[in-house]
Amino acid sequence: MVSKLRQTGALLAFLTLAATAASAQGVTITGLVTSDAGTPLASASVILDGLSIGTITRDDGRYTIAVPAARANGQPASLVARLIGYKSVSFPVTLTAGTPITHDFVLGTNPLRLGEIVITGTGTSSSAEKLGNVRNHVDSTAITLSNESNIVESLAGKAPNVEVTEQSGEPGAGSYIRIRGTRSLASGNSQPLFVVDGVPIDNSSISTTNFNPNDGLGSGEIEGTAQANRASDINPNDIENIEILKGAAAGALYGARAGQGVILITTKSGKAGATRYSAQSKLSFDDVNRNYPLQTKYGQGYYGQSPAMLNANDEGDPDPTACDNISNAFCRYSWGPDLTGTGTPVYDHANEAFVTGHTTDNNLSVSGGNDRTSFFLSGAYLYDRGVFEGPNNNYQRSTIRLKATQKLTDRLDVGGNISFADARGNYVERGNTTDGLQLGLLRTPPDWNNLPYKGPNGQITFRFQHPIAGDVTSDRGWNNPFWTLNEGVHNSQLGRVFGNLTSSYNATDWLKVNYVLGGDYYADERLEGAPQGSAGTGGENVGRITEGKIINYELNQNLSATASHTFSPSFAGTFTVGNTLDDRNYRQLSDVGRTLVAPEPFNLANTVTRDPTIDAVSEIRNIGFFGQATTDLFDQLYLTAALRNDGSSTYDRNHLRAWFPKASVSWTFSKVLPIPGVSFSKLRAAYGEAGQEPVPYLTTQTYSSVAFPTIAQGVALTPTYGGFGGLASSITKATASLLPERTRELETGADFGFFKDKADLGITYYHAVTSNVILTQQLAPSSGYFQQVQQGAKFRNTGLEMTANVRPVSRKDFTWEVGAQWARNRSTVLDLLGANFVQLDPTYNTPQEVAIKGQPIGVMYDLGFAKCGISPNGLGAVVADIDLATVCAGKPKGALYIGADGFPVLDPNQRIIGDPNPKWTGALHTALQFKKVSVSALLDIKHGGVVNNGTRGALTAYGTHKTTEQRAACTFDADGNTVCTGNLKTFGQGGWYDGPVAGPGAGTAVPIGANWYSEGPLFFAGNNEAFNEDGGYTKLREISVGYSFDTPFVKNHLGFSSVDVRIAGRNLYTWTKYTGYDPETNLGGATGHSLGLDYFNQPQTRSFVFTLGLNR
Amino acid sequence: MRKSLMLAGAMSLAVTAAACSSFLTDSTASTDPNNPATVTTAQLFTGIQAGQFIEQEGNLAFLTCLFMQQCQGVGGRFVNQESEYTITNATANGEFAGIYGAGGLLDLKTVEANSDAAGDKQYKGIAEVWEAFVIGTAADVWGDIPYREAAGDVAHPAFDPQLQVYDDVEAKLDQAITDLAGAGPGPGANDFIYGGDVAKWTAAAYTLKARYALHQVEVRGNGKYQDAITAATNGIATHAGDFKTFHTTATFERNVWYQFQVNSGFGDDIVAGATLVNIMNAQNDPRRPQYFGKTPSGVYGGVDVNGGVGPNGVSGLKGLRDDPGFGQPIVTSDENSLILAEANFALHGAAAAQPFLDQERASNGLSVVTATMQSIMTEKYVALFQNIEVWNDYKRTCIPALQPFVNPSFGNQIPGRLYYGSAEENTNSNTPTAAEQLQHGGDVVSGAGINGFRNPNDPNPCPAPS
Repeated sequence: MVSKLRQTGALLAFLTLAATAASAQGVTITGLVTSDAGTPLASASVILDGLSIGTITRDDGRYTIAVPAARANGQPASLVARLIGYKSVSFPVTLTAGTPITHDFVLGTNPLRLGEIVITGTGTSSSAEKLGNVRNHVDSTAITLSNESNIVESLAGKAPNVEVTEQSGEPGAGSYIRIRGTRSLASGNSQPLFVVDGVPIDNSSISTTNFNPNDGLGSGEIEGTAQANRASDINPNDIENIEILKGAAAGALYGARAGQGVILITTKSGKAGATRYSAQSKLSFDDVNRNYPLQTKYGQGYYGQSPAMLNANDEGDPDPTACDNISNAFCRYSWGPDLTGTGTPVYDHANEAFVTGHTTDNNLSVSGGNDRTSFFLSGAYLYDRGVFEGPNNNYQRSTIRLKATQKLTDRLDVGGNISFADARGNYVERGNTTDGLQLGLLRTPPDWNNLPYKGPNGQITFRFQHPIAGDVTSDRGWNNPFWTLNEGVHNSQLGRVFGNLTSSYNATDWLKVNYVLGGDYYADERLEGAPQGSAGTGGENVGRITEGKIINYELNQNLSATASHTFSPSFAGTFTVGNTLDDRNYRQLSDVGRTLVAPEPFNLANTVTRDPTIDAVSEIRNIGFFGQATTDLFDQLYLTAALRNDGSSTYDRNHLRAWFPKASVSWTFSKVLPIPGVSFSKLRAAYGEAGQEPVPYLTTQTYSSVAFPTIAQGVALTPTYGGFGGLASSITKATASLLPERTRELETGADFGFFKDKADLGITYYHAVTSNVILTQQLAPSSGYFQQVQQGAKFRNTGLEMTANVRPVSRKDFTWEVGAQWARNRSTVLDLLGANFVQLDPTYNTPQEVAIKGQPIGVMYDLGFAKCGISPNGLGAVVADIDLATVCAGKPKGALYIGADGFPVLDPNQRIIGDPNPKWTGALHTALQFKKVSVSALLDIKHGGVVNNGTRGALTAYGTHKTTEQRAACTFDADGNTVCTGNLKTFGQGGWYDGPVAGPGAGTAVPIGANWYSEGPLFFAGNNEAFNEDGGYTKLREISVGYSFDTPFVKNHLGFSSVDVRIAGRNLYTWTKYTGYDPETNLGGATGHSLGLDYFNQPQTRSFVFTLGLNR
Repeated sequence: MRKSLMLAGAMSLAVTAAACSSFLTDSTASTDPNNPATVTTAQLFTGIQAGQFIEQEGNLAFLTCLFMQQCQGVGGRFVNQESEYTITNATANGEFAGIYGAGGLLDLKTVEANSDAAGDKQYKGIAEVWEAFVIGTAADVWGDIPYREAAGDVAHPAFDPQLQVYDDVEAKLDQAITDLAGAGPGPGANDFIYGGDVAKWTAAAYTLKARYALHQVEVRGNGKYQDAITAATNGIATHAGDFKTFHTTATFERNVWYQFQVNSGFGDDIVAGATLVNIMNAQNDPRRPQYFGKTPSGVYGGVDVNGGVGPNGVSGLKGLRDDPGFGQPIVTSDENSLILAEANFALHGAAAAQPFLDQERASNGLSVVTATMQSIMTEKYVALFQNIEVWNDYKRTCIPALQPFVNPSFGNQIPGRLYYGSAEENTNSNTPTAAEQLQHGGDVVSGAGINGFRNPNDPNPCPAPS
């Protein structure tokens, strides 16, 4: 170890001292590079392989290389021309001082990208055919065509088993990305590692609501607002390409940070030649893609009567103040009178809160350079005004990026890359909170007018059910949705700088040294203000401020040296050694202020009391050493072996280091086994290990100042008390030893090109076992502690991935491509350290999602109807008299038990009720180019996977859901029981819970009204199974038509080289059985593990996009 | 920025200097910068008091108030449901854990060990009274509980029989009384109850001994009445010696009942219970303005769990107690007097009980009434408003006669205990199952088979009034 360090240290010193004198008496090489269609190719690189001397072709395709005399000794060399999308061509030359060389290249197109340099991370690269693992590459065009402002969302449908789920269509909402299934339960750490130009960046997503743990808001992803995932601070227009390292075999060199895959992003660089200017302006119109189905026939009340009539006095006079009393629950329901023909106005709550949003996105870039210098400068401003009424639904992002490189000497290149982002979002509350938009909007009875939400003098009039003017603090049940939209404040203001310094030194013809020093710093200021009079169970009624900031900075360096040598045409190899150092600091500083002094402003100084300040700091340091060797045999067999030694401050002090090996083989057997019609064939296999580091500070027992809670949120006492500093034992027991989680993955596959590469096919199978999985085990509270982080659980993910592309037409003026991809992942919990189940993060309870041994990770574990063969015979105390075994004799498994009264009953035992993981995912895309017209489209498919539509569960209980428009007439008898008539249904028949039934009441037709929807064993009784729906979908993600004007008129009179016009649609249509807003939704946020949860989440949007591009 | 640059420099140096191990173990990278790893006795003792104030004054007291019809839940939400005995193994999950973990037995053991090592017997004695009180309360609410193996090295502590726990608690109080007579200096002002006054602590320990003696009379007979008299004779004699919680106006140091009403969003859901208000109205009780606010018509009224709102309307819990700094009376001279009244009545008849009842009533501004079991326990029911002990008294004496809400979950009776909680049930294999808790009242050790949801010390259900 030490000697290796000294070696690398010496290299670094050598690098800074080295300088080479150039000579004027060299060799000049000139020529022209064209495509096989005869078009001159600009920006193609032409280099002398091994000498690291080269240039880039100018706009006319011509190039000139000057070789210094000192390096021209009459030796043979290989002159290689390369351009992305074309097959590289090499030409042997002999370098003799004073003898000029001229050579023209003709490059054939290269749809399979064979021979292209592929960045494989930590300073290593390879070429496509040498990779032992599958390659997933997304280029700038694909990112641009997605019309997404968040690069994570732009990856939707781009690569097999790269699942992307946007939380909602709100401006600035983050997207969750998962590669090849869930492999860790680490909280907030489930996302792939994002690396930009060789430097890891932060992609966290943190809810402001988590700043307020004293109100029980520990799962803010579920209760607060949508939040950005921080990779969205990158301007997608700055990206040249993205390589997705899937699996442990591809990511092993990133060690304990690659457990969920690695996203390698390369930003655009300047190219030699004339300085280019490009201005692009995009305007899009966005609206809600589907409305929620609500009934508008029945009004507020219960038993068919309005609350006023239900509260009538003995004389039968209605009580108009019935809904002044919070305890009058009837005011919250829509089981009141039939409004048809009564003249009572009805309000369209499904539409009233939405407007047409719009997004503007303006980009300007300047780039250029010469053979020694290049630069790329861009500036962009994005403004997204969302689809909700009111001022609090927008996101804006300004970005500036400068990337420059300079060849200091023929052997030494240095570069710099700096990016600044300013991102500001205003969000609207959603989810499981009475302050949320959708909860208030969709539950409100149709005859209740939500407007105006304020009195004529701006005073608070009512929120939901309190029409008493001036009563500020009484609980309203839930917010008037317009109050939520206009008065509540939730914002995030972020400034971020990230970038790097790079240097690359060709010490000798065979040894290259790379050094990258990168940094990423941001400060994100958050404010949440609940104005006086808000609903909610955390003191929002008297006003509450949550204010704080997140500061994150990360420094990273990567030093690597690569030696390469070609021993003979049939034997070549490379050897890389390197070192990385990484230091990540995170700080959250926040306060909650309660009871506003004056209604405004929303700041802490304007509050009566303040909660204890939260100041949470964490620092993680990593030091890694790695080595990689590759061997090329007979120009067809490629072997790679690599090893990383990873040290992390998060491991315990007795195990500071861990090893991560990998090995792969790739065999291009088309070179020895020519098959007619098969132009390329390759077999590949790779094995690798990668992991996930533990959360820091788990190995020391500490004392805590966290408040003791009781009864309800917002009620607590702190250990520091009465002027004395106080502490209590942490509820978490320290863990003696922690190692990284480790995924061992074997991946094998094949790639084929057919008919001169007019078609291609790739297939990959993988088998990954993750061991040492870290999970939080609950301890017996009587032991003194609640929980302990323990290690040793085991997961398995296996899967299959396929891609196929056909290019039926590829002529100079007409190309057409159709591609498809398909993937599936099967996850299984192999070992859970004996725990019955472990709940996933962020914790959610209707339904909860868990890991259970033998089941897919993340199954929903909750209550459902009593069913034959599924429910235990004795159902427990609630329905102890049911002998299921007898009733179910001869009935199929899953038959619905029907009680004597004709209704199903709730099984009080928790069980697995659904799996949110899709059965398979896929995508279809096509691109057509005819002369100056380009057309493209992308269909994104998710098949299967449950989404729990809790929104429907709540709305059917409240009587506002469309399905409740068909209802029995209900009243109550002398004993207070609900008695209903009409709307007869038979469980198991006629489209009503179709399927087998069993039990004494099977086949009985029963009236269905409030007795079932509101009082039956459904959502509020804990029956979450009843609202599970098929969350599969097919989405028309992208469709676009573009035209490029580059006529002489444009060039000569307008002064542009081309003008591009494009009309596109984003998420224009979704085919799905899901009855909620959209099956692409998730309360679980952008970094949690819980999927498929929809409880008053915000809708998705669709967009029509118009783009104008001016290029020069 | 400078820090960043220095770090960058340090990182480069780290490579050349091969300082790889210290790079990983330096500074905040491996030591938790947010939470201390060491603690003083005083810090823990402060935390324990906050943790146990919330234990005595929080959920368990709320449930007592609702079950005993001193309070009533309205509005259909959880408070309303709990007053109708909708309780699950989530209802008091946190309270069960609060007995043992942070701010509970675990930290009390540290305080006792530390003060013993420091030779501070008074500090140790005070902590021992606390321990006895914490564990005694747990035995009152849950019956058989882990104690001897709890908060130690045992992953799955055994459940000790309730009566054994009471014996252990009694022994702990005796030890505390001995230690309180030892060397100081004790916690001083850090003791929020008595400011380190060992005489007051000794009296409180005796009253607690008397309290737990009474809890055993149903199964251990009249000898426990005599124990109660013996102990209470040395117990808290005046209001100045009352054991009260301590609160300030700081956000999370305010009275828990007050916090609940202003902060939880459920504050409007808890109102006065008709049974208590009616008793107090009947004797024109001067304590009403302490407990309740007046209705709009200027009187006091409560909600009946079975009947709804009477002609007086509904009072909120808006009396003088509804104050952020109100210290909730937990163990008081009133209780001590009424223990003496009850025990003397049971052993020696009305005449022996009368002076103790008179003394307590006089100190609360009430006129003389004849001492009967009914009048003594009814007065205790009023005097100990919002105190968990009211529930224990009812379980033993069935006074006042309460009409339970019709809920078949517990045989149409008022629950006599709570479930241990899902956290313990899911993790400790010794925990009786829900069915066992229902069938045996938690007494799986002796398998007593008590009918109903009650504890071993409470074998006799209260008859429903006709």
